[in-house]
Amino acid sequence: MATFQRHRLTPWLLLAPQLVIVAVFFFWPAAQAVLQAFYVEDPFGLGRTFVAFENFARVLASAEYYRALGITVAFSIGVALGAMALALLLAVLADRVIKGAHGYKTLLIWPYAVAPAVAGVLWMFMLDPELGLISAWLGALGIDWNHQLNGGQAMALVVMASIWKQMSYNFVFFLAGLQAIPRSLLEAAAIDNAGPWRRFWTITFPLLSPTSFFLLVMNSVYAFFEIFGTIDATTAGGPGGATRTLVYKVYEDGFIGYDLGSSAAQSVLLMLLVGLLTLLQFRYLERKVQY
Amino acid sequence: MTESLHGQDTAMATLSLNALRKTYPNGFTALHGIDLSIDDGELIVVVGPSGCGKSTLLRMLAGLESISDGELAIDGRRVNDLEPAERDIAMVFQNYALYPHMSVADNMGYALKNRGVPKAERRRKVEETARLIGLEDLLERRPRQLSGGQRQRVAMGRAIVREPKVFLFDEPLSNLDAKLRVQMRIEIRRLQKRLGVTAVYVTHDQVEAMTLADRLVVMNGGHIEQVGTPMHLYECPASRFVAGFIGSPAMNFLDARQTHGTLTLPCDTRIAAPSARDAIDTPVCLGIRPEHLLPVDEPDDTTLTTRVELVEPLGADTLAHVRLEGQDEPLVARLDGVHAVAEGDTLYLRPDADRLHLFDHETGRRLDDKDIHSCPSSPSSHLA
Amino acid sequence: MRYRRPGLDIASHALLILALLAFCLPVWLAITAATHDQASLYTGTAPLWFGEQGLGNFHAVLSEPVARLGTDVARLLFNSTVMALGIACGKIFIAILAAYAIVFFRFPLRRLCFWLIFITLMLPVEVRIMPTYKIAADLNLLNSYAGLILPLIASATATFLFRQFYLTVPPELLEAARVDGAGPWRFLKDILLPLSKTNIAALFVIMFLYGWNQYLWPLLITTESDYMTIVVSLKRLLSSADNLVPWQAVMATALLAMLPPVAVIVLMQRYFVKGLVDAEK
Repeated sequence: MATFQRHRLTPWLLLAPQLVIVAVFFFWPAAQAVLQAFYVEDPFGLGRTFVAFENFARVLASAEYYRALGITVAFSIGVALGAMALALLLAVLADRVIKGAHGYKTLLIWPYAVAPAVAGVLWMFMLDPELGLISAWLGALGIDWNHQLNGGQAMALVVMASIWKQMSYNFVFFLAGLQAIPRSLLEAAAIDNAGPWRRFWTITFPLLSPTSFFLLVMNSVYAFFEIFGTIDATTAGGPGGATRTLVYKVYEDGFIGYDLGSSAAQSVLLMLLVGLLTLLQFRYLERKVQY
Repeated sequence: MTESLHGQDTAMATLSLNALRKTYPNGFTALHGIDLSIDDGELIVVVGPSGCGKSTLLRMLAGLESISDGELAIDGRRVNDLEPAERDIAMVFQNYALYPHMSVADNMGYALKNRGVPKAERRRKVEETARLIGLEDLLERRPRQLSGGQRQRVAMGRAIVREPKVFLFDEPLSNLDAKLRVQMRIEIRRLQKRLGVTAVYVTHDQVEAMTLADRLVVMNGGHIEQVGTPMHLYECPASRFVAGFIGSPAMNFLDARQTHGTLTLPCDTRIAAPSARDAIDTPVCLGIRPEHLLPVDEPDDTTLTTRVELVEPLGADTLAHVRLEGQDEPLVARLDGVHAVAEGDTLYLRPDADRLHLFDHETGRRLDDKDIHSCPSSPSSHLA
Repeated sequence: MRYRRPGLDIASHALLILALLAFCLPVWLAITAATHDQASLYTGTAPLWFGEQGLGNFHAVLSEPVARLGTDVARLLFNSTVMALGIACGKIFIAILAAYAIVFFRFPLRRLCFWLIFITLMLPVEVRIMPTYKIAADLNLLNSYAGLILPLIASATATFLFRQFYLTVPPELLEAARVDGAGPWRFLKDILLPLSKTNIAALFVIMFLYGWNQYLWPLLITTESDYMTIVVSLKRLLSSADNLVPWQAVMATALLAMLPPVAVIVLMQRYFVKGLVDAEK
């Protein structure tokens, strides 16, 4: 790469804004979180005691934490599978019809712009036990829908709203991936007497695997973090903690329960988890996470 | 005879390279001390295989690579530590490096703008240059709307408009098709002579090098192998490397043994050596250009008996790819006109005794150096 | 070459249109609900057709302070706009400069700077929320636009994308500019920025959406309604202790909260798709 060589100060001037922001709002808090995780703060916030790994031990020994972990994983799987399967189906259809693929993209892309919290509210209205259209349909099918009381239904609500929002993102990528597959490959397969179904599973699907892996990670990251907006606006972690994810628990313990040490320890564990996820992605794709 | 583009006198520009070295931080030495002095208005072509250091040398002249050791002077002024813009040079890049978002006129005027030349004058100079190289009608176009040849012209124009002391060309024609390349080659030569600007031109194409150069610099492995006029390098290559590099098709090389004035070839052919060295049965390397293998009807002990493997009729002449009878040595002979030889024929070839080249078997250096001065174009002694 | 099968084509279109309708349903119901008054809304299931109110509910939430919020939605929209624009512009600004330094300069500690910046890609703000909140409080950034914006700029997404783009710029362009007498600032202004136009537009879309749709951070840092964003406000509108949820007002607000980002994505779709797909590379 060609570079400017004789400028000593200029690069530092250019980097300064980014470095300052990153230092103040990233490294300092991250370090604080790590530090805090080893202390217990007294209830009045007056002093704190070093407790080594006690916070971690407490977190890792609590059934609540594993429950939140399980819920987070369930959300990840539900959102990723649902949104990806739906998006892949629609992308294959849109890619097939050729004429109008672009139009469908325009018409399907906009839910991505909707905030997770807003998506949650829209679905909550459709599933409102009193007014909701879908809950009424479900009632007609004999399903008594009330996500304010039923934990499984509360999770379903959050997952549906998230799939609705994430589908468009996945659709854009799958469509781009499908359109990037060389026609000649499919033609060669057709000459080799592979039918459309077999062509899809033996050629198209394997060639989409980098896209699929990337989307799997992106959807998991969504389910880890951004889903917070949906949860807080609709179920607030309830009923009875049925939708309390890891991030929601960090928030609850820190800002509502004021258990700073535990919240910090959970943050650190979450950092490790996300770091692991990211590394995994770097390893397999050498590409990056864009959250 | 030289003419300044904008009516002012062109400054004289000589270049002197004194033991220039380039060593990269990882310890790799790309250039091992380059000495060269370039006259005002001279077109020097640096030629060599890829990785020989020729591009590095050019980029050091431009100021795009730092100089590890030695001295570079333009017009006697040391410029080692000057920025490219301060050296008063212009460069034409291999991929042209036109600014994609600027019009042709803005591309050409950018250097002038950076120098603070007023807009009206800039416009005048750009238009004048555009006329000179036939770009008048394209000034408002963007690079992507131009053909390869036109882009090449813009790159030239961008260099010319600034009236630099030195033009640097980095394989500027390698992205053009063969026909356009010949045409642009002639044009570059014409422009350079007309403007009288000193120029250094890097290429890996030896035909381009031969036709363009006032003097050729042949490089290999970070060293200069030989400097001289194209004809001198053709007639008196100083080393086996130069001999093999200059000329197309390449020179044939045969292992031989020399005893005094006689060379014995593997097939027992005996020919008179170009230099009667004091040698007894010494291994040497004999070089014969394809055009200096003459077909004869009857074999004798000064001819080579060969079997024809492939015939390439080129119209004006015919290339015969042959193998020495009983040996594996492949040879190429250039025969005049259309020659009635066919694959499998036996062909008797007599090396032209006056045009042989002898090289040391070990070092590859030319052996008959006392004969160098009898070469038609004697070497100009510009090696500093 | 693809075997054309008209029957399959029609089935594909039918399925796609069905999916489209299903995807529009939540928004359609929101629109119809927002045009009813509360009384007519609570007579049965959600109405599928418009009510009597027309744009009345929108007008009401925009112009009058809304119960439970303490301010009108126009103010919330303004706050969200400031935040989204601040984040988008701020990120793009610092990213352009930082990526420029990292790609086009060689200086001591360059690799360290690179890693310091890019490690931030790994940890979103949600993970370090508590200490970030404390620092924002220490710096007096609670209930301020700076507090809404600055901590969310501290991620290298944009820097990474600009770096990717800069690496595709042919090195000869920089060399030509140096020979033409352009220093670092001139090269940035005259050559690099004009070449980055599309990338800047793409990033603007992505970052605007990112900023507008933020939830957790604005929720924490704004306690006064003067700085609350519209996305966060929805929860307050919903939280009815005993009263009926005023769905018509909630839906009007939700639609207003969707409108700007959806407009941005639809109008700038070309850049958005390019930006997304580039981001994956």
